[in-house]
Amino acid sequence: MIDAREVTDSRLCRRKSRNVHYLIIMIVLVILVGICSISLGSYAMTPIEVARTLFAATGADGMMQKIVFDIRLPRILLAILSGMAMALSGVVLQVLTRNALAAPGLIGVEAGAGTAVLLAMIVWRSSLPVELYPVAAFVGGVSVALLVAALAWNRSLAPLRLILVGVGITAILAAVADTLITYGRIGEVGSALLWLAGSLHRADWANVRSQALWLMISGIPVLLLSRHFDLFQLGNAVAASRGLDTAKLRIAALFLSVMLTASAVANVGTMSFIGLLAPHAARLLVGDRHHLLLPLAAMIGAAIVLVSDTIGRTIFAPLQLPAGLVVAVISAPYILYLLSRNGASR
Amino acid sequence: MTLMTPTRLVQLLVLVVLLAIAAIMHLKFGARSLDWSIVLKALTFYDEGSAQHNIVMELRLPRLIAAITVGAALGLAGTLMQGVSENPLADPGLMGVNSGAAFFVVAGLLVLPENTMAMIPFLAFAGAIVAATCVLLNAGTDPDPVRLVLSGVVVGALFSALTSMILLLDQQGFETLRRWLVGSLAFESAAARWQTLPFMVFAGVIALINIPALNLFRLGARPAALMGLNIQRFRFSTILAVVLLAGSSVAIAGPIGFVGLVAPHIGRLIFGNDYRFLVPASPLIGALLVVTGDMVARVAVRPLELNTGIVTALVGAPIFIGLVLRRVK
Repeated sequence: MIDAREVTDSRLCRRKSRNVHYLIIMIVLVILVGICSISLGSYAMTPIEVARTLFAATGADGMMQKIVFDIRLPRILLAILSGMAMALSGVVLQVLTRNALAAPGLIGVEAGAGTAVLLAMIVWRSSLPVELYPVAAFVGGVSVALLVAALAWNRSLAPLRLILVGVGITAILAAVADTLITYGRIGEVGSALLWLAGSLHRADWANVRSQALWLMISGIPVLLLSRHFDLFQLGNAVAASRGLDTAKLRIAALFLSVMLTASAVANVGTMSFIGLLAPHAARLLVGDRHHLLLPLAAMIGAAIVLVSDTIGRTIFAPLQLPAGLVVAVISAPYILYLLSRNGASR
Repeated sequence: MTLMTPTRLVQLLVLVVLLAIAAIMHLKFGARSLDWSIVLKALTFYDEGSAQHNIVMELRLPRLIAAITVGAALGLAGTLMQGVSENPLADPGLMGVNSGAAFFVVAGLLVLPENTMAMIPFLAFAGAIVAATCVLLNAGTDPDPVRLVLSGVVVGALFSALTSMILLLDQQGFETLRRWLVGSLAFESAAARWQTLPFMVFAGVIALINIPALNLFRLGARPAALMGLNIQRFRFSTILAVVLLAGSSVAIAGPIGFVGLVAPHIGRLIFGNDYRFLVPASPLIGALLVVTGDMVARVAVRPLELNTGIVTALVGAPIFIGLVLRRVK
């Protein structure tokens, strides 16, 4: 971390503008990839046709309009929004634990949310309407997060204990999920498994609306808290001396992070690595300043999910691979590399 | 320091007796409970014509033997691994062994043509070794528990993602394999036991030879080296034994987690840190755990069965958490 006050003014300006450039480049990239992704599929279109259909609704081909607006656009928007939610959730959790390896998937939040939705899908099938799955995911995620935090609490929240307890709780939940998967009826289990693997195949406008709503409710407060996160990262004593109520910030951040993860889990299933990978990549580019880090991580998360989903649905077409699996296969080697590098530097 | 004090000997004997009791109960209980006398009679004077004798000898006894073998292998593997990595949270299951094995089994059976269920042990064994090698290359013999656990989690996630991909592309294959994938002794076969036996015996011999080294290594790597221990050879042989044991147990029974973690710790509660007792005791404890777990799995939801792997995870994971809370500050 470079202390900005020690850097001369001109260099500071250049650094700032370069950092903003990263953000703009990422946004443009996501839009371009999105348009290309709309054009790919069993009914091929050129990107120009897509752009024309999107921006000039009049006079466009009716068939094309239907494909773009009813099938491909919601899926792509959902990929972008859920990727943003997962990346933001990861950043917040990493601030909270002051540990770059904390991710919603590692400390059990995703497993909690996933198991809750699995229960809703397999055991109490008809009692819960689909629209309320995010609520079930949220209840599951929050209760597991609180349980893990309470167990790991030892005068303060030690990151090591948090992660190890999270691994243990995840194992218990995985056993429960395995039981459900083994003994559930094969039809329901098939769709549940697909959903667990992080799939966007059911994306429609209802999912997009739900994801957008939850992202606004919990993502905007996260962006507003960016300065507090900067302070918090300096350590409890420093943060408290600058007038920050660390206890309140912790609770608020935990809730926001769980809400973001839960909404993404409910809408697209589990994609464990986005919350680890996107923040890390963003941190490599802009460092620890959260007013830039948060939006950049969100855009990188969106890009990863979008690219993975596009690969997943085109590579074995007409069969579709869930985006979550593509994400895992792409990102696991990168994380292993990070781990080995971390160890070597110690 | 005497080699075998009477107390220690009695404690080991008690473990053997407990295991014997659990084994006989394992034979008695099941989808259909049998009388004690029938179990005993079937064991001593086997009558091929009797249906109840058949249940004991043909159905339950092989399963019991598999449970004992798997439990012993996992218990010993856990002890060795915790010894060599100086890490109280090390568990062969945390090395990604299980998901590696699952991936190889699924890929081998569903993607390559002309494979039968009889190939499962080979494939599982190969997968376990590949995954363990990945994790160990990444984590090294670093005593840092986080790095080991996280490497295991990530390698595990990678292999499970690949497994899920294949299963999603082949729904029918999923239906036939979904029981195996969570670890069930119901699938064990005599062939798998015989094929893995040489590996397990070899690993057991390594463990016995390494007992003095394990005790010496408790002082730390540097003092042990100063006292004449060949660290490289010790580490390599012990890890080889762990991988062989874990691979064999996955090959026999599918993924069964947390036994390798819990058994050594129970052993330490009874015997302290001396590996002269831990090495013989932890296989006994592991076998006891798996036999009991398998019994619970068969009796809990009669006449259906739970999977043994699920039972051991539900019991073992809380113990893992308890250990984390006590040991990690």
